[in-house]
Amino acid sequence: MLILGIETATERVSVALGGHEGVIAQFEVTKGRRHAETLVPAIDFVCTQVGIELDEVGLVAVDVGPGLFTGMRVGLASAKAFAQALRIPMIGISSLDLLAFPCRHADKVVVPVIDARRGEVFYAMYRQVPGGVQQVAEPAVGPIEDLVADLMARSQDALLVGDGALRYREEILEGFHCEIGGDAHPSAGPLVLLAHARALREEWVNPWEIEPIYLRAPDAQINWSTRAARS
Amino acid sequence: MLQLRASSVADTHAIAAAVASLARAGDMILLAGEMGAGKTAFAQGFGRALGVEEPITSPTYTLVHSYDLPPSQRRARTLHHADLYRLERTTEVAELALAELAEFGGIVLIEWGDVVESTFGDHLTVLLSNVIDDDAGGEEADPAADELVSDSRRHVEIAGVGSSWAARWERIAWALEQFA
Repeated sequence: MLILGIETATERVSVALGGHEGVIAQFEVTKGRRHAETLVPAIDFVCTQVGIELDEVGLVAVDVGPGLFTGMRVGLASAKAFAQALRIPMIGISSLDLLAFPCRHADKVVVPVIDARRGEVFYAMYRQVPGGVQQVAEPAVGPIEDLVADLMARSQDALLVGDGALRYREEILEGFHCEIGGDAHPSAGPLVLLAHARALREEWVNPWEIEPIYLRAPDAQINWSTRAARS
Repeated sequence: MLQLRASSVADTHAIAAAVASLARAGDMILLAGEMGAGKTAFAQGFGRALGVEEPITSPTYTLVHSYDLPPSQRRARTLHHADLYRLERTTEVAELALAELAEFGGIVLIEWGDVVESTFGDHLTVLLSNVIDDDAGGEEADPAADELVSDSRRHVEIAGVGSSWAARWERIAWALEQFA
């Protein structure tokens, strides 16, 4: 089954095509954050380069976050539109899974850390299992001190990846000795590979069942009570 | 905090223009005040000062309007004008991702932003209110009467939160001196 992977959850826009042969085409831009302008031409480009028509695609995989709201909005809306127009199923995969997966050969706890802005990061922890990685700590959002406290509590050798790890490198290393490296942004290549593994198990869903993972402050009613004039 | 007085819409525009002259990419400016207090008028003066030529209209129903700024305007790339009036829940505000719009070369004006003020980082709050007109018998201007409002005098209270505004405060105060 041919899979189209769409990745826009961080500053990078990444598109890949692949399936049982692995990734057969991939294109990405990591500067300018022009998700809306770049995405569709990028899809057209990868299809053209490998001579594939969109109607040959059997599944759309998309990064469902956490990450940039503005990016995810573009990626999810486009991915759903393609899936609905082509009448094909979808697989949504977390940005944290996508950052951890390429580190599946590291012999450390893998901790993807994504910049959540305003001094906070999204993070989760993974360990290696045959053929991939498995989450060992639920995704969380919090200040760097929370991440450092969680790393200290686990006190295992850790490999931190992602733009959050790079941005807050000094603060993290001050609190906990670990390795920081690997990918800064998730990519559509690993997205296609992971989606393929799930597609073999038929773990796909309908486009309307795909939801973004925002992982932000709990929802609350806006207090308009002071706004008497609002009718 | 600055306490200013605008005696006409032109004054409101001029105050907005003075703030715009010191604004830059990344800024979030909350516009507070009741219906008809001049929030959209402020946004219009602000946008015009940055070189927006298209008409700036209230984004109440569309939530966010974005205006590309002319390339000669090096202060920012885009002016975003948001209105939270129609929103009921904090996640709806979060989904607008206003901070991301600011972060990426944008200046963001947020009408009714004061109702979720604590969710913003550094920001400027502009509180507009209609002045009670003594000649009209001490009654507050009726916000429903457009003509009255458009000519009414206003109080404009400006306060900055965070280091990025503290660093500019003296210049802002100086630029607005004539309205103090």
